[in-house]
Amino acid sequence: MCTCGGPPDINDVKSLEAKDYVCQDCGNKFKGLGSKPKCPSCMSKNVELR
Amino acid sequence: MMNIQIGDDQIAYLEGARGTLALVKTLGQFFYMETESEEIILFTEDDDLLVASTFGSGEKFRRGLNCTLYQIRELEAPLIVLPKGHPASPRLKTAVSVGSFTRIKCDIQAGTHPELDVLCGVPEFANVEIRGVKGGAEVMNFEGDVIVGKLIK
Repeated sequence: MCTCGGPPDINDVKSLEAKDYVCQDCGNKFKGLGSKPKCPSCMSKNVELR
Repeated sequence: MMNIQIGDDQIAYLEGARGTLALVKTLGQFFYMETESEEIILFTEDDDLLVASTFGSGEKFRRGLNCTLYQIRELEAPLIVLPKGHPASPRLKTAVSVGSFTRIKCDIQAGTHPELDVLCGVPEFANVEIRGVKGGAEVMNFEGDVIVGKLIK
């Protein structure tokens, strides 16, 4: 992606196809991109797609 | 093709006459991208890179790139997505890409392309390709100077 000044300035975030995850340990729900998701709250790798 | 060794605490600058790129390893960290309505977590692999581009060269611009990448990687500064057409967009000086592969394109306008692997840069960097590899980066189509230094201590 192209971002400016640190903050990205992109016009169609939905096209990034982020996936919805839920942490099986703490219940945190989050959107993520990438092959190695982990919970950004408790750092658990025990996450599943919603 | 050029191979550049980049240590975990190092930053590599690809410097041209009118532009500079800077590379650091992501170290497998994740990064926050904040939009108006949601937060997206960008998960990375150990050998992925953060690549920053600016439209100038010399120490002043290298310092700016160093600060930007330090804030993102070491201070976990979130990437803030501005709404399309926001008046701040043309005032911002640095562009950043996250991932295993980055292509530099010069015929695009900052903020107009959502592809993860495309980064805007000055014309002399047209078609430069950067791939994160074990221990550093592979760079194609670049003929400028390479400077490797410490990310801010």
